[in-house]
Amino acid sequence: MKLSITTFKRSQTYLQSSCSHLWRGLNSIGNEEKIEIPKRIHRSPTDILRCLETTISRDPTAAHYKYHDDPYLIPMSNVGKRTFAMAQEAGRKAAHWVRKENAELFNHLEADPVIPSFLPKLVYTEESKVTEDDLIKVIANCQVQDAQIVYKLLKNQGNKISADLQQALLELVCYYNCSDGIAEEFIEERWFRQSSNLKERQRKTWKDSSFAEELFQTISNPTAETYCTIIQGMNKYFQVDRAWKLFEEAQNKGFVLTTDTYNSVIRVANFLKESFDMRWTFIVNTLDDMNKAGVKPNLGTLNSVLHVLSTMGTSRTVKDYILNILSEFKSLGIEPSLGTWYYVLVTYCKERGMVSTILHDIMNQLENKEQQIKDISDTNFFVTAMDICRNHLNDADLAKRVDKLLHVGSNYDLIGDSYKESIYYRHYFILMSTSIPLEEFMSNIYDVLVPNIYVPEPGVMSEILKQIEVNAAVDYIPKLWTDMTTFDHTDRESLVEAVLNIMVDDVSPKKDTTLTESFAAIAWDIYVKVENQNIKKINKINLTGDLLGKVMLMLLKNDDFDKACKIMDKLDRDHQTVAGVPKIEVLELFIDHCIERKMPTRAIICIEYCSDSGFPQCGVLASKLNEKLTLDEDHLNRLSRIVGDMKLSSKVAEEVH
Amino acid sequence: MSILKNVLLQNMKLQKNITRSMHLSPACLKSQAGRYRISAKKDFPLTYEMANPPHQIAHRKSWNSWNTSNLDGGIRPAETAVEDIFVRKFVTGTWQGLFASEVIIKRQHNIIRIAGITSRGISPRKMYFLIGYTEEFLSFWLQCPVKMELQTIADKKDIVFKYI
Repeated sequence: MKLSITTFKRSQTYLQSSCSHLWRGLNSIGNEEKIEIPKRIHRSPTDILRCLETTISRDPTAAHYKYHDDPYLIPMSNVGKRTFAMAQEAGRKAAHWVRKENAELFNHLEADPVIPSFLPKLVYTEESKVTEDDLIKVIANCQVQDAQIVYKLLKNQGNKISADLQQALLELVCYYNCSDGIAEEFIEERWFRQSSNLKERQRKTWKDSSFAEELFQTISNPTAETYCTIIQGMNKYFQVDRAWKLFEEAQNKGFVLTTDTYNSVIRVANFLKESFDMRWTFIVNTLDDMNKAGVKPNLGTLNSVLHVLSTMGTSRTVKDYILNILSEFKSLGIEPSLGTWYYVLVTYCKERGMVSTILHDIMNQLENKEQQIKDISDTNFFVTAMDICRNHLNDADLAKRVDKLLHVGSNYDLIGDSYKESIYYRHYFILMSTSIPLEEFMSNIYDVLVPNIYVPEPGVMSEILKQIEVNAAVDYIPKLWTDMTTFDHTDRESLVEAVLNIMVDDVSPKKDTTLTESFAAIAWDIYVKVENQNIKKINKINLTGDLLGKVMLMLLKNDDFDKACKIMDKLDRDHQTVAGVPKIEVLELFIDHCIERKMPTRAIICIEYCSDSGFPQCGVLASKLNEKLTLDEDHLNRLSRIVGDMKLSSKVAEEVH
Repeated sequence: MSILKNVLLQNMKLQKNITRSMHLSPACLKSQAGRYRISAKKDFPLTYEMANPPHQIAHRKSWNSWNTSNLDGGIRPAETAVEDIFVRKFVTGTWQGLFASEVIIKRQHNIIRIAGITSRGISPRKMYFLIGYTEEFLSFWLQCPVKMELQTIADKKDIVFKYI
């Protein structure tokens, strides 16, 4: 609907502008202006779709379009988002499995022309008859395992395989380390995979004496290309020593290696050389070698060098090296990518080092520019930049600029994966909640992004609660409690306590009773949730006397006497198991309510509880009760048993006088 | 007198029957398809779709299959019909007892969209599994993109239009 209105408006303005063109055209008849018909611009078939797509931005009021638009099927928490998307993908995988198991049933040809991805995959076994064309096909489809089988079959059948094909196969197996990666069509798995565990990635995963190496050995007269491929493969999976040997071997043979090979060697300098100085010398030497060999560096070279420099501590010299390298590459005409700036940020803004404002300069360069992915490290930029905005600079304005850049064009594609996205928003939320006015934060950021784009983690929620406490903005509590319930935060002791404390500490005069009502409802909700916890649950919330007291206070403020009585019963009954006691003020309030409602039995239970808990005020309470209500014999007996005859009778005696 | 009247009437009826049997069409006029009979207790639930007989299609209700196969120049009419039956059987069988409405099949270009209303009999996670499975399986079978467009209802009574 919104869209149609905008298009309507647009067509209106278009009409107006075309009218004005017409007017101008009519007026200029006298001038005999020559009409120039512009040259036809060639459009691709999808250009109009792309054009339409730019008019639509992400709608924060709706869930992501991969989810079904139905209240039951819209995920409300982080866990939900993940499980729903992954469940759908699991279903798709199940269908793939059915097709694989019953391949013979799926060979009908409905589509014309045939669409191969709908047909079952060919299975290659020992008996399969294969030709070179099959090998070409499986290599083109990146079927790494199948390519190895087909190659072996061809060899066994005594076929001769051309050098080009051998090279193509070597490239495939080196790139994928001889095993199939996650299929491209399972995008959710890629999105939710936690790939940012750097330590896990940076260890040797190259499969030694695997098919790739066998193939490399069988190539009788290896060329520079062959060497480049195997060196890059080994370096990618951190088999650095062997890669270095092959690198030297290739250089001795006088091969000219490609830029990418040099890049891969530079990238693993950390593994080849121990000290920082040796690493730097190594980099300089390698760059020198490139120069001598007449190999032109590219963006990959820049990023590899910066990658190594970013791991070389915080010293002044490293920063100087970085600036030198940047200016050198700039003079070579190599445009840095987001990944480059990521490495610069990592080097300049270390936790222990000096505070650096380099992000300001970087943002000045990048502002309002649409970025393309050029390097794998590009996806680290936004999350790191936001991290620096919060932890290093604590600068909300800069964070806003970074966030704006993220939403320029299709820059959002560079956010990386779901893990990086949530860390990005975690930093953004915490920084914004502490640095801009709470009202602005709630209306401009919280209400817009939660829950469809981002669901705050418990840590972020506690930060927001702190801000509410500081600003005494209790009006937000009912809303936040609803959110916390849907996001499954209510089993966190610290959060529940924070909410309760904010409600209890709120002493501002109430303008309307709805807030008191909802506070009582929240308090009762907390009690019910804590009471009905699963017994087997780890990290259970302990039902303390203090917590019960606070719940009771909120209930009494709202005149929920029946529910307060239930809490009192609970306190009295489970006196042994409930740790701690509520504040005496709460119990006093309870007795006041009992007096008001003329319920001496309840009050006496409470006084008994007070005396059991060792409150010295119970005598005063007892006499107050005696004073306000006319008690019968039975009640008086019970009271005197609790507090002793003395106190009661003295009071009575006073009254008689 | 009354006996005479009865005999006469019976004769007339017989005569009528004889004349009727000469016609070919009246027997066919009794249409039953797509209509529901009133139950003894009048407690048989009908959805809006069921409550409207077929002649209301395009007036009060719409088609269950949307395609252009049967228009002039349309292609694959027979295949489309058979495929639609297959899709309906597959969907109702895969979503065992969950579909509360008819399965609507909409074809546009090469895309097939399967719409319907399901009850919330299983957890949303399982529902997503079935969505993924159905979409992928049917696209393998029909060799075109298949999408599901579902709505869920908490209670089957939500879609009852009237009881007859």
